[in-house]
Amino acid sequence: MATSRRTFVKGTAASAAAVSAPGLLMAQTTPSDARTVRAVLHADLKIFDPIWTTANITGDHSLLIYDTLFGLDDARNVQPQMVDKWSISDDKKTYTFTLRDGLKFHDGQAVTSSDVVASVRRWAARDGAAQHLFKRVADTPIKDDNTFAIVLKEPYGLVLEALAKIETNLPVIMRKKDAETDPNQQVTTKIGSGPFRFNEDETKSGQRYVYDKFTGYVPRKEPPSGMAGGKIAKIDRVIIENMADEQTAVAALKAGEIDFYEIPPIDLLDQLEGDKNIKLDVLNKGGNVGMCRLNWLHPPFDKVEARQAMLYLIKQEDILKAVFGNPKYYRSCASLFACTGQMQSDVNTDWFKGGQNIAKARELFTKAGYDGRPVVILQATNIAFMNNASLLVAQWLKEAGVNAELAASDWGAVVTRRAVKKPVAEGGWNIFITWGSGEGFDNPIGFVAHTANGEAGWFGWPKDDLHEKLRDDWALASTLEERKAVARKLQENAWNYVPMVLLGQWAPPVARRANVSGFIPLPAHVPFWNVEKT
Amino acid sequence: MLSFIVHRLLSTVVVMAIVAVCIFLLLHLSPGDPAAIIVGDNATQLQIDAVRKQLGLDDPLAVQFARWLVGILKGDLGVSIFSHEPVSKLIGQRIEPTVSLALTTLAFAVMIAISFGVLAAWKVGTWIDRLVMVLSVLSFSVPVFVVGYLLIYVFSIKLGWLPVQGYAPIVDGFATWIRHLILPSLALGLAYVALIARITRTAMLDALAEDYIRTARAKGVATGPVLMKHALKNAGVPILTVIGIGIALLIGGVVITETVFNIPGIGRLVVDAISQRDYPIIQGVTLIFSGVYVIVNLLVDLSYTLIDPRIRY
Repeated sequence: MATSRRTFVKGTAASAAAVSAPGLLMAQTTPSDARTVRAVLHADLKIFDPIWTTANITGDHSLLIYDTLFGLDDARNVQPQMVDKWSISDDKKTYTFTLRDGLKFHDGQAVTSSDVVASVRRWAARDGAAQHLFKRVADTPIKDDNTFAIVLKEPYGLVLEALAKIETNLPVIMRKKDAETDPNQQVTTKIGSGPFRFNEDETKSGQRYVYDKFTGYVPRKEPPSGMAGGKIAKIDRVIIENMADEQTAVAALKAGEIDFYEIPPIDLLDQLEGDKNIKLDVLNKGGNVGMCRLNWLHPPFDKVEARQAMLYLIKQEDILKAVFGNPKYYRSCASLFACTGQMQSDVNTDWFKGGQNIAKARELFTKAGYDGRPVVILQATNIAFMNNASLLVAQWLKEAGVNAELAASDWGAVVTRRAVKKPVAEGGWNIFITWGSGEGFDNPIGFVAHTANGEAGWFGWPKDDLHEKLRDDWALASTLEERKAVARKLQENAWNYVPMVLLGQWAPPVARRANVSGFIPLPAHVPFWNVEKT
Repeated sequence: MLSFIVHRLLSTVVVMAIVAVCIFLLLHLSPGDPAAIIVGDNATQLQIDAVRKQLGLDDPLAVQFARWLVGILKGDLGVSIFSHEPVSKLIGQRIEPTVSLALTTLAFAVMIAISFGVLAAWKVGTWIDRLVMVLSVLSFSVPVFVVGYLLIYVFSIKLGWLPVQGYAPIVDGFATWIRHLILPSLALGLAYVALIARITRTAMLDALAEDYIRTARAKGVATGPVLMKHALKNAGVPILTVIGIGIALLIGGVVITETVFNIPGIGRLVVDAISQRDYPIIQGVTLIFSGVYVIVNLLVDLSYTLIDPRIRY
């Protein structure tokens, strides 16, 4: 039987519909480019568990998919986030918290006190600030699905501050079954209760990480402020692209293939500033602070005079200029707690105000009994700041009569060798260079580089009992003014015994397309709630 | 022929075994600690030690090697220390971009290079010959990433014709796929073009000096068939050899090209793994590449028989 024209047309139309259906369906479910922000951040995201690693990129991932009990607002005040209300007992030993209604995980499960308590305990097993708190915790009883408590053995002034911590390890809330994972093992699921959910299907490890707006998220009603307030997802999708080449990332930003670049290279900022489609903003005003860690276990830095010599040796301005070029984005700073936070002061900084003094450094090295042995600097050649700072420090040491040697390698080899406690001749070291965030430096308890408990502490292994006592005093202080007073004492003492030497503070800008706005200034992380694309 | 193939395949196994031992030892004896990189800069030594223990990195080297070897023999390349994803899955995700880039580069390079080489040999001593040689030297001398940046600047930023970076799988459409590969193939292929063009020219000149070419010309055979049918076929063996050797260069150059053009291929995978000391990935990729390289050489050797019937195994 011959096919009629009508039948043929009907059949063709039906076939076309059948073939197009998947495409149409995909078009309906894939967010449009206008509702998608593509961002290049400072590193590749390889580890998804913010308790297992202190890597900031994992912190960035956490802010997308997890939420926290409390958050710090713009003014660094603690504000409730997942918590609706809380109370503190008269003896200041019992903190009782009630969760907000409607909180859900991305799998639809309600957030309960059991999830919270398990998450907080897992966090406390790994995080320094949490460990300091939990040494004083007697119990974490669960009253009901929405109410739990932290019961202390003695009053402690930083309970809420610890739960609002913005530095890694972030105190994120996971499902109980994930939080019950051994803290020394990685949680590989990515189910949180934050404003975005992780899209495993669209993610390609090493290439791009995809997050979709979680429509079940219940934001707070307050306007967004720092890590606090309403975390409203104003875009449907965030794609974190892994782009290793800086020049390519800049080109991609200019061409509109990406919308945001966290750390554009300093030498290309002029190019970006001249492009009307691109804006530069400094989101992380505290930036980073460079530090020169000295090895206390072996000569010469086992002597306080040699460490004091380093204070007179370093000229921060030269290091910062060599790496960052533009003084808009850096500053010299002598405060042990960085120069942008609440704990900063200029107590006991005459050595800094007098400027570099190589002669004084030489005199102090002599007083320390320096005998001409090699002083080995671990030089991470693949990281510009560390590489350039090592070269300058080596040069100044030589000018001061010290036999400085550079041990060049990549950062991966540095992190191995810095753990070696043996003398230099057996594979040890005297100096290595790294940095910490300005926000981290402002916290004597949370920041591992502020420990001075000898070989049990962080690399360099400074030891000073007064410093450790003052850190405890800081944590137990109940007002901001009291903490500032203790911080001044900490700094006074620190620049006498010299745990480390600071190399300056810098805060480079991020670069974004002009039609993408709403990034909230935060130290150390880039949040994507409140971001809009027009 | 069959015994030749079997013999070469067996030797592949031996090569891969030697590579396995060498790469394992090189990695584990080199400085670097993946556990320290995993936990981040602010972690304490206790945390690093705990992670190292959990990952089995504090076991004796022989135990770690045996564990890995047993896995290999079962076809399991292990799991990434960082992402906990199977190495075979990671390689599987990255193989298409790398193969696509290698094939398009090979196709572009061979077509252009052989044409230029034949042209230079035909017009030997003229300005055409000299131009081809100068361009070859330049192509070989300029680093891949410099060429890459220049191409991006001209064709992506200034003209807006082609994307700056990225890769589109072929299932997204041939046109989209090829658009993302044009610039990377050009950047990577230029050095390859230079190498093949020069060898082609030399081999062609040798062939064109033979008696049979003089006979063909004397019989009135046109220039085209003389060049393409008689000379090129006889010059084919050294050209094929250098194409085979060049595949090794291609694999090496792919790493830089993938980084510049942000192509998520195996080259990028292994470079990232090296900086992070992700041992299973480095070991797995190196092992596979060594096997691939031996097989490519075998295929090149076998292809000689297609060009030169005098060659028999």
